[in-house]
Amino acid sequence: MLIIEDAIKEAQEAIVKCDENKAVAIAKQAIDAGLDLVKLLNDGFSAGIRIVGDKFGRGEIFLPELILSAEVMKKVTEILETAIVSDSAKEKKAVILIATVEGDVHDIGKGIVVSLLKTQGFEVVDIGRDVPVDKIIEKAIEVNADIIGTSALLTTTLVEQQKLEEELRARGLRDRFKTIVGGAPCTERWAKKIGADAYGEDASDAVVKCLKLLEK
Amino acid sequence: MSKFFTRMGDGSAVFLSEAEIRRDLEEGMLDAADRGKIPELTDDEMERLYQIITDPQKTVSIERGNEVVMTFDAGTLKLPVRAGLPVDRMTTVLTHERVLCSDTMEIGNADYSYKQLKNIVHEEAASMEFTQLNCIIPVFYGAMPNLGLYTKPDGPVDNWSELLPMAKIGEARAAQEEAIEMAVKDMVYIASILYEAGADGINFDTVGASGDGDFLATLKAIEILKSKYPDMAIEVGMAGEFVLGMHGQLEYDGTRLAGLYPHEQVKVVEKAGGTIFGAVINTNSSKSLPWNLARAVTFSKACSEASNIPVHVNAGMGVGGIPLTNTSPTDATSRVSKSLIEIGKADGL
Amino acid sequence: MAVIHEVASGMGGIRTAGDLVARVQMSKAMKIKEAKKYVAEKLGVSVIDLSDSYLMKELREELDIGHVQVRDRASYGIEAKFNISKVLDIKINSVENFKRKVKMI
Repeated sequence: MLIIEDAIKEAQEAIVKCDENKAVAIAKQAIDAGLDLVKLLNDGFSAGIRIVGDKFGRGEIFLPELILSAEVMKKVTEILETAIVSDSAKEKKAVILIATVEGDVHDIGKGIVVSLLKTQGFEVVDIGRDVPVDKIIEKAIEVNADIIGTSALLTTTLVEQQKLEEELRARGLRDRFKTIVGGAPCTERWAKKIGADAYGEDASDAVVKCLKLLEK
Repeated sequence: MSKFFTRMGDGSAVFLSEAEIRRDLEEGMLDAADRGKIPELTDDEMERLYQIITDPQKTVSIERGNEVVMTFDAGTLKLPVRAGLPVDRMTTVLTHERVLCSDTMEIGNADYSYKQLKNIVHEEAASMEFTQLNCIIPVFYGAMPNLGLYTKPDGPVDNWSELLPMAKIGEARAAQEEAIEMAVKDMVYIASILYEAGADGINFDTVGASGDGDFLATLKAIEILKSKYPDMAIEVGMAGEFVLGMHGQLEYDGTRLAGLYPHEQVKVVEKAGGTIFGAVINTNSSKSLPWNLARAVTFSKACSEASNIPVHVNAGMGVGGIPLTNTSPTDATSRVSKSLIEIGKADGL
Repeated sequence: MAVIHEVASGMGGIRTAGDLVARVQMSKAMKIKEAKKYVAEKLGVSVIDLSDSYLMKELREELDIGHVQVRDRASYGIEAKFNISKVLDIKINSVENFKRKVKMI
């Protein structure tokens, strides 16, 4: 008979090892055994995803594995959610709009952030690189974004992040969105100076900060 | 309790107590040892780091006899491009040689990627020839492998940064493998022409910026270049402290490249035929200088001890413990310089 | 800032023997201690002298391998590198190129 402690442990392992068959089997067994599915989802599968994110940040696993784990997570979540009557266990999802600022065509780091955010259940709207502030705001309104994330690799394009904050304030939209900034020359101090809500040191940190923003 | 002036990783000033500094040194060192699975610094080395951090002198320096040599990335971009001085490249190199007394210099194009040089390579070669007639110090030619430039919309290959979030892993891997072959061809072509124009060495800079494919392309290019020109000096400067696994399965001579830390990166560079290895340790802008420096020194020492070729640790903006700011404070820079050499055993910076 | 590294820990380029040690590192992939030892032996000085600008100025002028101060009839640029190549017993790429161009080889 499957007990919750074992199911949690195996769920974590299945996610970390990108083992879809095992993950699906555990989810189904847990449903049949009448286990606490909310606990299994939060402490088992979701915790597994957090382990995967941490390992990625340490260079112990790589982007393809990260994506595979996220795919396994998606399948398991679908199975468990249909069995969970209450919505309380569902991961709090949010829409994040992400872009590399105008004048900057560097998007490798942004791509990694997008991948990591998706693994954590965020709905990510990636509007690309070299994106003017006007377009970022327009799109954020259109998709009803919760968070706007901007990336800048160059010291010369960093000011676009400041421009975004100023423009949001000028249009009376500042309270409608949370903002997070990142990119090689960006720092916590810069984020504070321009009035952004959060700063992501690297891709893993950006995800942690986005999750924290949702709690606010 | 008295406090000591030091810096945060973003360069801002901060006053920390002895206990705080010792705690940050310890945590930074342990973080490096844990991530890299490398030896911790000894108690003596930690004490030395503490003395360097808390030295009342504004600028510190190495002890006589411990001097090292310097190589540069983005060499000729610094005066005419970044500082906006109306000087040409040869004047820049000669200013570095005769006024700033640099040990080496590098010529590089403002669009600093090998792929972008194909149309101007002969003008670059002429520039190298003129410079070599007039300068005494060794002059490298440098650029980045920049595998990302081979992807759409900048290049012909599908963009793996877009494919991966869509879980198209096979396609993303195939795109990277295609880009690697293109990049190898471009790097060998450019480096060959510049070497034949008299360059003392070729610098592959910011290697791995686009992940493990970027690194593999560079290693393959080095192999070909060394077989063509056995005397060619090749410097490999990395992009980050561990190789990003954008592909995840690429190997060089049986070693998986993704996730390698500096002490492991240097071994594959050595095997491929690299002459100088430019180790990179990322600065965390939210942590203090003691934390970042102890971490950088721990990685540097392990790398240098593992290496048979000289290790020039990158010590510019945001790497090697240097704060993440365009104008790194001299107190922090000089502490990094001394520590990387005297404790981190760097052969150069 | 490169100048700070140079002040804190650099050899000093052609004021001293920095360029020579760098050349040996580049041509022989030598670690810093070995490269310095190699250069010191070739120059007939001690390792610590390599970073002494007073001593190295005299020696560089004597060997005619270039120095920060331009003097008439002193070797400069490629001429100095011809001499460096001989003193250090290493091949210098631009020097070999020059020889080929003027049909010396």
